Amino acid sequence: MRRREFLKYGSAMAAFATVSTSLPAILSAQTSEDAPTGEKADFDLEIVDVDVELIDGSVVPMYAFAPTGKTASIPGPILRVTQGDTVRIDIRNSSTRPHGFQIVGQSNAVVSGLAPADGDGEDKTRIEFVATKPGTYFYVDGDNSPINRVLGLYGALIVEPKNGYADGAAKKKPMPYAPGAATPAMKSLFTALGEATIDGKPARFPGKPWQKEREYVWIFNQIDPVMCRRIGGGELVTPAEFESQFHPRYFTINGLCGLDSAHDKATCPTGRAGEPALIRCMNAGLATHSPHIHGNHVFVLTESNKNGLPVYQTSLNEHDVWTMPPMMIKDVLLPFTTPPDVPPAPWRMVQEKYPLRYPMHCHNEISQTSAGGSYPMGLVTDWHIDGPVATS
Amino acid sequence: MTTIYRPISDPLEYDTFGCHPFENDPATPDRTTRQVFLRRQVADWNVDMKDGSQLQFWGFKDPDVSGSDSPWPSKLIRVKQGQVFHCEFKPTKGAHTIHWHGIEPTPMNDGVGHTSFEVKSSYVYQWCAHQAGTYLYHCHKNTVLHFEMGMYGVLIVDPLTKNPDTKNPNYLYDPVAGDVPSAITPGAPYSAESILVFDDVDPVWHKLDHNAGMCGDDVGLDKFNPTYFLINGVHNGRTQTDTRTVTRMTAGRHLLLRVANASYSRLHITLPFNCYIVEVDGRPLRTNRPKGWFSAPEYKAAGSKLEVGVAQRYAIWAPEVPRGDHQIIGNFHHWITNKRHFDGTAIAKIVAL
Repeated sequence: MRRREFLKYGSAMAAFATVSTSLPAILSAQTSEDAPTGEKADFDLEIVDVDVELIDGSVVPMYAFAPTGKTASIPGPILRVTQGDTVRIDIRNSSTRPHGFQIVGQSNAVVSGLAPADGDGEDKTRIEFVATKPGTYFYVDGDNSPINRVLGLYGALIVEPKNGYADGAAKKKPMPYAPGAATPAMKSLFTALGEATIDGKPARFPGKPWQKEREYVWIFNQIDPVMCRRIGGGELVTPAEFESQFHPRYFTINGLCGLDSAHDKATCPTGRAGEPALIRCMNAGLATHSPHIHGNHVFVLTESNKNGLPVYQTSLNEHDVWTMPPMMIKDVLLPFTTPPDVPPAPWRMVQEKYPLRYPMHCHNEISQTSAGGSYPMGLVTDWHIDGPVATS
Repeated sequence: MTTIYRPISDPLEYDTFGCHPFENDPATPDRTTRQVFLRRQVADWNVDMKDGSQLQFWGFKDPDVSGSDSPWPSKLIRVKQGQVFHCEFKPTKGAHTIHWHGIEPTPMNDGVGHTSFEVKSSYVYQWCAHQAGTYLYHCHKNTVLHFEMGMYGVLIVDPLTKNPDTKNPNYLYDPVAGDVPSAITPGAPYSAESILVFDDVDPVWHKLDHNAGMCGDDVGLDKFNPTYFLINGVHNGRTQTDTRTVTRMTAGRHLLLRVANASYSRLHITLPFNCYIVEVDGRPLRTNRPKGWFSAPEYKAAGSKLEVGVAQRYAIWAPEVPRGDHQIIGNFHHWITNKRHFDGTAIAKIVAL
């Protein structure tokens, strides 16, 4: 779509926005309280067919998860549980096609071949498992792999520790992992957060320890509109054909592109210096991404193995670019330090613009475009440092 | 059927974010006394490709060095840790920026058009590197195209001190009090250095306009089909003989190999000797309580493979390199299929005599 037409279209949509719910609004509402739960770890999900509007205004058919009876979204809602919980997930297939459901990396958490529901409301299938290792997991439709997943059926399951502290009995340093299983390097890092000095020397992370609420989920995906339309139109495409012909033209983070993701509160990390944030980074697509963050390096804490289980890292390498092959999950810590290469000067710097805005984008730059152009409307978002070091 | 909408909240902002980024020539905010000063301008020139065709490239030239008009990669920049750095940038050929990749200054000095501004005619970038290591610099305007066009160079921040071992006089980073001895000698001392930047080229992209794709037209930026594979601008057939990609050293001394991936491919490197990864993305893997004791060097036996992600840098320390010719093999793989590209191998060489 040419820009001129896009702008005209954009203005028309602005009026429409007042009566519809945008995806950013849905995503930002995805706190643990709003997750689709009756009991603590009981979830009720539906698979539906959707039309998805892309950033240039074009529309493609995809699939989506929805909390039963509620609005569908891509990715699906965040499912948040605590280590040791018995997790029950009821799935109903309200799509016109057969589907499945799977928590990757959890046993007893797979169903497949769910026929389309006949509408009597009783045709749910339940999976039940005990959440064990804290970390980030994919839930997907594993059927017809990778088609159903890449066409929208993916989301995050987060297992929080029952008692996650890096500093043992003192309990002043929260950590999103269980201390018995976390590596010494992970415990060292979470213990160091919020310390102004170590061994009498200025330390790297003055400010606050990590806090449980300081968390973001970034799920990457790519959209091939031709494949979406062929499959949506009823054509039978085999997984082998899909993989060999996959030609993505849109690149998303939490289902959003470019400006939309920079504006989305659930995607764009914000806070003051000294307020570290955990970012749970996942790639649901088929391309290998190279997310690159400006302003701070991140520490890679976990990396999923081929079974989808988090492997806690014994050496926490600091990266400004980290690699994300298909189905990779990495938990990374964004320390929110004052950008370290600012020349010595009093904070706050007098003439610099505030807040300090930095981008995060995939450095495989093809992914920065949409529809063969429209740079930078692909896999990119911002993050902000809103003020000087916050103290506890 | 349910529709998931993406209503644009502000078309004007969309326009300035992408199509018409803010251009400006501000004074450097919070400017302070500098220790390093250099200049950069933008150059374009033609390159003879290995099949006899000519392609246009762009890069950063140094107006203070004659004959630097066809720099690809752009001229190496080396500064010392702790120095206040100023670069006067006069793009002269349309608006551009310089992003100091891996360096973390304030947003106005970060060189990203859509979070600050693009340089219209002149700006002095300012930063002060706090950590010795391997970095890049590149244009961050329409980055997808300008990076591919060759607008990048290597930036190295060296430590302040020299090693007292005259056979291996340089350090990767300053060893300081509190470093816990690990498998490697703290500071990773070396006498020979090989800096290798791998790149791939799709000739179709080298015929595009400076602003191609920024205003919503489909200009084919979703199709990247590289046919040329190079190291430091040297075609893969010549990388084992060209002085830019062959490093000669004395056998038995230590080598520091710095590798960067400036391609849009998955780069798989095979390492020919026993070595250690000692730095990633400008951060040494060290164990030192006040500086952070979260990482350690990683041993790689001869024949090991390493994937270098797009725009990542790795520093690899090879102690006491044995006599002989050692090939650093880079294989370029497609970013979606992970299949090796046709002709997608480039080999650099270390000759230890």
